[in-house]
Amino acid sequence: MEMSKLKEIAQYTLSRLKEYGADEAQCKIKFGLVDEINVDAGEFSLMRSTFDSAVTIKVIKDMKKGVIAINKIDKESIDAAAKECVEAAIVSTEDDCLSIAEKDENEDFFCGAEKCDRDKLFDRINEYVEDIKNDYPKVFIEQLIADYAESQSVFANTNGVEYSYTAAYYSMGSMYSAHDGDKTTSFNSMGIDFVSLDEKILDKGTQRMMYEMCEKELEAIPFEGKFTGTAVFAPSCLGDIVATAIDNFTGDETIIDNTSPWRNKLGEKVASEKLSVSLIPIDDRIIGGERYTAEGYKSKNCDIIKNGVLENFTLSEYAARKSGEKRCPTLSSCMEVKSGNTAYDDMIKNIEQGILVCRLSGGQPASNGDFSGVAKNSFLIENGKITKPVLETMISGNLADMLNNVIDISKETAMDGSTIYPWIAFDGVTVSGK
Amino acid sequence: MLNDLIKKHIDGISDYTEVRSQINSNNRISIISGNLVGNSRVTSGGVCARVYKNGVYGFSSMGEYSDESIKSVINAARDNALFLDRRVNKNKLPLMETPTAFYKDTADFIDVPQKILLDYAKELDDYIVNKYPDLSSRGVIVSSDCIEKLLHVTTGSFSHSLSPRSCIYVSMSAEASDGSNIELFEAMNCGKGFFTQIFSTPSELYEKIDNLYEKLMSKKEGVFSEAGVCDCIIDSSISGMIAHEAVGHTVEADLVLSGSVAATNLGNKIASDKITIIDYAHTAFGKEVPLPVYVDDEGTVCEDAVLIKNGILKGYMNNKETAMHFGVKPCGNARAFGFSDEPLIRMRNTAILPGTDKLEDMIASIDNGYYLTKTQNGQADTTGEFMFGITMGYEIKNGKLGRAIRDTTISGVAFETLKTVDMLSDEISWASSGYCGKKQPMPVSDGGPAVKCKINIGGR
Repeated sequence: MEMSKLKEIAQYTLSRLKEYGADEAQCKIKFGLVDEINVDAGEFSLMRSTFDSAVTIKVIKDMKKGVIAINKIDKESIDAAAKECVEAAIVSTEDDCLSIAEKDENEDFFCGAEKCDRDKLFDRINEYVEDIKNDYPKVFIEQLIADYAESQSVFANTNGVEYSYTAAYYSMGSMYSAHDGDKTTSFNSMGIDFVSLDEKILDKGTQRMMYEMCEKELEAIPFEGKFTGTAVFAPSCLGDIVATAIDNFTGDETIIDNTSPWRNKLGEKVASEKLSVSLIPIDDRIIGGERYTAEGYKSKNCDIIKNGVLENFTLSEYAARKSGEKRCPTLSSCMEVKSGNTAYDDMIKNIEQGILVCRLSGGQPASNGDFSGVAKNSFLIENGKITKPVLETMISGNLADMLNNVIDISKETAMDGSTIYPWIAFDGVTVSGK
Repeated sequence: MLNDLIKKHIDGISDYTEVRSQINSNNRISIISGNLVGNSRVTSGGVCARVYKNGVYGFSSMGEYSDESIKSVINAARDNALFLDRRVNKNKLPLMETPTAFYKDTADFIDVPQKILLDYAKELDDYIVNKYPDLSSRGVIVSSDCIEKLLHVTTGSFSHSLSPRSCIYVSMSAEASDGSNIELFEAMNCGKGFFTQIFSTPSELYEKIDNLYEKLMSKKEGVFSEAGVCDCIIDSSISGMIAHEAVGHTVEADLVLSGSVAATNLGNKIASDKITIIDYAHTAFGKEVPLPVYVDDEGTVCEDAVLIKNGILKGYMNNKETAMHFGVKPCGNARAFGFSDEPLIRMRNTAILPGTDKLEDMIASIDNGYYLTKTQNGQADTTGEFMFGITMGYEIKNGKLGRAIRDTTISGVAFETLKTVDMLSDEISWASSGYCGKKQPMPVSDGGPAVKCKINIGGR
């Protein structure tokens, strides 16, 4: 769809909202298409293409808010939604922290691939499936979903803000396990975003390393005993610790209700000085990153923790007003944990007893950071070497404590198009088996 | 009108084709610590088609209901099926024929005004803050969703279904003596129906809120569980998670074909004699189940799927394609979440059948273990290894309930854990507030009695 048409729809929506009585309003109009290829149980199963649009409207009237989302962009549907949104605001409750974004310089953003090459996408996926069969014969692709997603969106508000974003890129996610006779491993999964089909998909990121480890997991045995010691989190599940901690301790909910253990720690040390964490939507290594927030502010990269010191909460404008803190310049989840100085191999060599965790199957951690879960696709580390793959192994700890107990961060990182994570060795994690 | 348009386009198509028109709606109010952070009405609808060709599917969807969009999605789905068929040449047989379904829901859509949801939520929030001012945070979420589907299949099957579901979620937290924030959450009175069909006045939930507060106060003084394998009683309010996570996912036929542990165990003894697990379609124990499904999204008439009977693995959950592969009759487990989603093999209302024991006798039979009463989420593995997050529970010492415990996780290997079940209570509880995640979300329910088994519990 022509971007000018979407801009026209956005302005039409705002004008209708004003007519219906909105004091302030914002809308996002989006049109998208997806071409998707599915592989199930190792065989091609489905080709799917979807076309959809979305309209999200927010209205403030008499300091009361209403939000409506529909997936129709015809005038009749927008008229009805605009009217309904104003009515929803009228019956709502007053809140003097409601607002819409101030005017900034309007801008059109672009990112990604030009057009989907379906034939080449199929060929690359076919090659991927064959490569796995040849290079990792015990690995079985349980499910693979590859797609090309193209979207055009316009954000506009009654303060005169108008941004557009055209984004298009490929993604591939696979769920896999290894099998050998009666032996079978836990499933694992990986995903990666990319803009070009010029190179083999299997060569991107740390996929080969993960498939190699998957074959080794066939020898897994239940872990017996219990120790409290070192847990190395691989990039594939580091987000379960670091991103979850950031979300739990710096996000809207726990800052608004004052239950975050970091509520009064801005500018103070909350983690090991080895740890630096940033949100990086505007970065060449990130594919399709946020260009403007859902509230209509232009996105900027932002340090959350720098050398262990809490630099920013990850607050929306609403939560910032509510808590008297600063708005975060991005609401993106594209995260970078800065690499360290130790080579991954040396990190492992320095560990006498520990566990290498490659997937964590666990519940949502408590707001105080207590967590426990099952270490999946994981290996024991004994006397400086990765030894036995383990089954039925639980780990538990506290996220805030772990961030303070960083032993080492690897030089190497893994990039999947939306995050950049190293391997991190944490101390003080309880590992228990049968 | 839409029905006639779809019928017009599907008549005369030679390849197996499903055309579905669907609208999903969700109205939601979220109040966090007195702040109205969510007041939204979301609807998403359109039309889709799926075409089967020699062992592969083509699918397409558009967010419009028109003569043109129906024609477009059918053509695009056929082109997509041809695209794959030409490249992979599976040359598989046509899909199996199943009895033609005809189902028409007689219920009408009820558009509940947002003000009714908001007033209900505000009154509940007022009750909580006035009665329990010492809480460090509180949350009330009112959610009312509905999925309406109109399905035509070239086999002649037709279905028009309306699936409303409403729920209230309440959360509370309080500061423990060690300074940490302890929280508890409960989904209250969730089930099939539009909001005004289930909820009438907030006072109907006051007793549940009082109970939740009391439990939070116990948990605030709670201890960390001792890590390791021990005897546990999993309360009837959460034991359905065993049926869903530990067993259900491993016996979804698509996961069986991907090498799940159930693949080599059909007909084998995989659980205690006491265990029977059924995925109910629409009726159980003489009543409609919480989230009934009468015809699935492939046009198959829904029937119960018996998964485990007296400890023996009896069958899988199938769609038409996997049923043909295994040479069985499909029971109607192919379900799609949104109009732009293809049907996948999904559970419906999966339950462990009750036994004959009394809960108090079950507790009295344990010297050292835990009674686990609330869960938050669960995950399964194709190996049968499963976990649930536990958010409320109690120690059992010498046959009596002891101190409350803090959040933890339990895990086990399904077919080993189920062999350790030696007592089942004589009642069943259903939980229907959640979504199952598997490429697409899906409303599901699960149920069961209190279950006594040996399980691995996390802790410090």
